[in-house]
Amino acid sequence: MTTAQPAPAPLTRPELVCPAGTPAALKSAIDAGADTVYVGFRDETNARNFPGLNFNRRELAEGIEYAHSKGAKVLVAVNTFPRAGHPEIWHKAVADCDALKADAVILADIGLIDHAARHHPNLRLHLSVQAAASNPDAIRFYAERYGIKRVVLPRVLTVQEIAEVNARIAPIETEVFVFGGLCVMAEGRCALSSYATGQSPNINGACSPASDVRYTETSEGITSELGGFTINKFAHTEPAGYPTLCKGRFIANEKSSYLFEEPTSLNTLAILPDLIRAGVTAFKIEGRQRGRAYVSAVVRAFREGVDAVMAGKGLPDIDLDRITEGGKQTTGAYEKAWR
Amino acid sequence: MRPGQVRANVKPVQPPFSPVLLLGMALKPVRPALLQPVFDGVLKMLRRRHPDILDRMADYASKPVCIDPVDLPFVILLDPNPDDPRLTVRREIDPQEVAATIHGPLEVLLALAEGKVDGDALFFTRRLVIEGDTEVVVALRNAIDGAGIDLINDISAELGPLARPFRTCASAAVDLLGRIQDDIETLRTALIAPAVKDSNAQNARISQLETELKTLRKAARRGGVA
Repeated sequence: MTTAQPAPAPLTRPELVCPAGTPAALKSAIDAGADTVYVGFRDETNARNFPGLNFNRRELAEGIEYAHSKGAKVLVAVNTFPRAGHPEIWHKAVADCDALKADAVILADIGLIDHAARHHPNLRLHLSVQAAASNPDAIRFYAERYGIKRVVLPRVLTVQEIAEVNARIAPIETEVFVFGGLCVMAEGRCALSSYATGQSPNINGACSPASDVRYTETSEGITSELGGFTINKFAHTEPAGYPTLCKGRFIANEKSSYLFEEPTSLNTLAILPDLIRAGVTAFKIEGRQRGRAYVSAVVRAFREGVDAVMAGKGLPDIDLDRITEGGKQTTGAYEKAWR
Repeated sequence: MRPGQVRANVKPVQPPFSPVLLLGMALKPVRPALLQPVFDGVLKMLRRRHPDILDRMADYASKPVCIDPVDLPFVILLDPNPDDPRLTVRREIDPQEVAATIHGPLEVLLALAEGKVDGDALFFTRRLVIEGDTEVVVALRNAIDGAGIDLINDISAELGPLARPFRTCASAAVDLLGRIQDDIETLRTALIAPAVKDSNAQNARISQLETELKTLRKAARRGGVA
C-alpha cells in the first residue's frame, strides 16, 4: 500500500520591487511591470545620495500618484543613519513620506525606527538591508518592538537559510535582492569608503562619492582612483567596474588580485523557483543609481521570470550580461558556490 | 594634465565605421559657427520641455562639460549655469574651460540622452570614456536620464503645424541611416576579411603554443625532461 504524498503548498506570487533614481525611471519601472518602486529623497537620508539623482517632494508626490493610478506601490528609503544630535532631516523625511502617502518607508537606524513608530503609527515600516538583521531573533525584535512589517534580508544567507528564517518569523515578510550590485556582505557596517574619502555611505549616503573618483586614460588602459588612492587598472579590452575599494585590485604576496570581491553583478534569474519556494514575499532589484535603460531591461526580465514560474512554465533565457558590472554574474551567497 | 583632461588629437574611444563617421568627414570643411543655430534651438527646446535638467545640475552651475562625439570633427561645450545655460559647438576646446569631458560615438551619446542605453553599462564596456571631474559627469548623466528625453517627440512638439512632416522625415531618415549602416557593415566585413583570417590563424597558433608551454612546464615541475 502506498501513502499519498501531500500536495505541495501553492506558491505565493512575489512582489517585484524595483529601483528608481528619477521620476522617468519610476515610470519606466512601472511600465515594465514593477509591482512596487523604491526611491529616495535628494539628500543624505538615503543610501544612494548621488549627484543629480533622487526625488524632491513634488516629484515624489507625482510619482506616488502615477504609481497608485497604475496599481503599483512606492516605498521610500530613509535608510542612512542620522548624524549624532542632528536627526532633523531624517525625521522630516519620514514625516513627509507619511504626509505624501508613501506605501512604506525603508529604515535602518533603530532610533529613527523608534521615532517613526511613535510619531507615525499608520506608516508602514520596512527594515532596510542596512540594518543587517539576518536571524529570527533580531527580526522578531524589530517587529514586536516597533511594528516592522517587512525585513530586507542581508545578502549573506543561502536559499535554505532564507526558507528557515521565513518559517520562524511568519507573518513578518521578507524581501531579498535578486539582481544588481553586491556589497562585501557587511551591510550598514562598511567603512572602506569612509576611510578613503571621509564620506560614509551609512551616514552621508554615498559609497565612493563621485567627487572623490578620478579616471585617467593611459596607453595601457584606464586607471581608477578613489580619494587619491589608485584602486584599479583596467586594460583596454577588459570590462571595467565601479570605483569602490571593495572592488579594487590590490597587490599581496607580489600578486595583483581582487582581495574583497570581483566586479560582478548578482543575478538570480536561474534560481527564482527556489527563492519563491523559500517563501520570500518580495524580490528586490538593486540599482537606483542606474539609468532608465537598466531599469526597463532588468524589470522586464524579472517580470517575465516570475510570471513564468508562477504559470508553471520554464524559466526564460534572458541575457543581462551587457548591463552587469564587469560583464560577470553570480548567485552570490544564495548558493555560496565558492565553498 | 588640466582638469578636463582634453588632449589635442587624442580620441580615447575609437570612432566606429558608420554613416556618422562619413558625415563627420563631409562636415570637416564646415565652420562650427554655421551649426551653432541648431544647438541654440536644441537648448531652447530642452529648457522649455525639460527644465528639470538644469534644476538637477544646479550645484554644478560653474562646471562646464565638453561632450566629444568622437566620430564628428567638432565638440560641444555645455555650460549648465541655470541663469544663462549655453550649448556651444567648437572645433576644439581649451582644457582650461571645462571641468570634465565625455567621449563617445554620436549614436551612443544620443541613445544615452534618450535613456535607451545605460550609462554605467557603457562605461563598463568602455564605449564611453569620461575624464576630469567625475561628479559633474554623474550629475549630468542622471539629470538627462531623469528628464525622459525623446528627441523626435520633443522637436515635433516645438514645430506646431510642421510636426507631422518632421516626424515623417525623421522616421525616413532613421530608416535610411539603418540601411546605410547595414551596407557599411557589409563593406567593413569585406575589407577586413583577409586580416581577420590571418588573425584567427595566429590566435590558433598562439593557443597551440600555450598548450605546449603548459605541458612543458608541468613536465619540468615533475622533474622530467621536457
